[in-house]
Amino acid sequence: MTAWRSLPTLGDSLLVDDTKTAVALLGAEDLDGLDERDARDDLAAYRRARRRARTRRLGTGVAGLIGLAVVWQIAATLLRDPVFLPSVTQTASTFLHYIDRPYPAQGSPLWYDALASLRRILIGFTIGVAAGVTLGSAMSSSRVVRHLIDPVIEVLRPLPPLAFIPLFIIWFGIGELPKDVLIVIGITPIMAVTSVAALDEVPEDLRLCARTLGASRLYTLLHVQLRSALPGILTGMRISMAGAWTSIVAAELIAATSGLGYLIQQAGDYLNTALVLSGIICVAVIALTLDACLRGLLLLADPGRRG
Amino acid sequence: MAAPVKPVAAPVKTQGADVVIDSVGKTFRRGGRRTVALAGINLEVRAGELVCVLGPSGCGKSTLLRIVAGALDSDEGTVTVGGRPVHGPSPDRGMLFQTPMLFPWLTTRKNILFGPKAQRSAGLNERDDPELDAEADAILGTVGLAKFGDAFPHELSGGMRHRAAFARAIITRPSLLLMDEPFGALDAITRLRMHDFLLSMWDQYRTTIIFVTHDIEEAVLLGDRVAVMGGRPPGIQEVIDIPLDRPRHAVDADTEAFLTAKRRIRASLHP
Repeated sequence: MTAWRSLPTLGDSLLVDDTKTAVALLGAEDLDGLDERDARDDLAAYRRARRRARTRRLGTGVAGLIGLAVVWQIAATLLRDPVFLPSVTQTASTFLHYIDRPYPAQGSPLWYDALASLRRILIGFTIGVAAGVTLGSAMSSSRVVRHLIDPVIEVLRPLPPLAFIPLFIIWFGIGELPKDVLIVIGITPIMAVTSVAALDEVPEDLRLCARTLGASRLYTLLHVQLRSALPGILTGMRISMAGAWTSIVAAELIAATSGLGYLIQQAGDYLNTALVLSGIICVAVIALTLDACLRGLLLLADPGRRG
Repeated sequence: MAAPVKPVAAPVKTQGADVVIDSVGKTFRRGGRRTVALAGINLEVRAGELVCVLGPSGCGKSTLLRIVAGALDSDEGTVTVGGRPVHGPSPDRGMLFQTPMLFPWLTTRKNILFGPKAQRSAGLNERDDPELDAEADAILGTVGLAKFGDAFPHELSGGMRHRAAFARAIITRPSLLLMDEPFGALDAITRLRMHDFLLSMWDQYRTTIIFVTHDIEEAVLLGDRVAVMGGRPPGIQEVIDIPLDRPRHAVDADTEAFLTAKRRIRASLHP
């Protein structure tokens, strides 16, 4: 925590204009300027400062969440109605209680429901992303494919996936399949559209540049075009992940015998508000963790974003 | 000033190739409309020569450069480089753009090694990693980026990025470098430095260079000859010798001989 204070203006100024400050920090244009050790130190210092600035932003974000919890706790204390709004501490103890105890008594523990939801998400997400990126690549490389598939996607994309739930129950019953299909249906159009956009944005000259450096067409496609589109595709994956949670929890609320949505529904039926909130928080924590992983990948894929 | 960065190994000399552009023409067709982009282009560039192609925007000079690079096919005429006709892009014909086109996910060193590694995966290049690393070190030193091998493009200044792009193009040992207004987006001072940089690199590597620009002063400073483009349909109006001594430096731009050459070109642009 004290590290924030030891890094006063340097971190701030770095955030103002990355490029200009980097130039100022890294020094002169001169071919023979600067001695080697100084410049190396400066590059390291620049990166260190950007890392610290990032940690500080993260700290501020955590402070915002703590603020929310404090407001919640005060409101609950004033209301004194645990059915309407249980306090943070009540919710936390309910969460810890049911994490490994079944609810309702004949049901399953919270961790089991969390795992069930997570499994559906990961299966649907993986298939949906693979399908979407494949479609997007095909659309980006062939005009005919694009004109063929574009209307299909444009029809599917604005539809709320939830509208398909009754249809999928008729078609696939209430097992795992309809849930996986629901997520795939929700994600594929998003991934196709973001992949096309990301691939379209790769400058033609970047491709030509790779070709004049001796790269084959295939090498250029894999190592330049797709690689260059990767940050855009990862951003699409973050959007898709959020959409997947919306779909799966809604599907579990309506027709399921496991999953966090099912748990929330059950707890709501018995007015166990603390457990409803526990379920919601559990969704938030898992979703946030998965998003953090994707964000980590994004930082790895796009060095320009680090900072 | 600190001591100049010393290259780890001597830079690899490249053998320049001669270029023959023989009655090249190009017509674009879009929706039934035909636009003649180039007509009857003839230009011979000697091995190791630096020729500037000068003309206003839209005169077809970039199209010509892309045809020589092999990125575009001409409708008429042929281009040969080193006696061989051009078919498709080749590492023998390096290209530099207005934006440096570095791969933003690679460090400077890995950007420079992109070409050799891509060629190796295609079986065109037998050089192994230690050899390539040594050469990357040498080239990083030559272009003054010895300390920035591990920096990512976004951590470099504008001039540094262009030097890195030059290093990446030169490591594949091209016999011809095609430069498409490479310094057009740089500020005036950085641009002067890049002119000196380019001249000193050309002096070392002796590769043939075709340099496209719309800046008369840049053309005079750099070129052995200046091919002035323009007209309808676009073609080469005149090829002008620049009788200035070498080595040239950006600071020479005020001499009488320089100004005379500039006036000569200006007259050719407005006959």
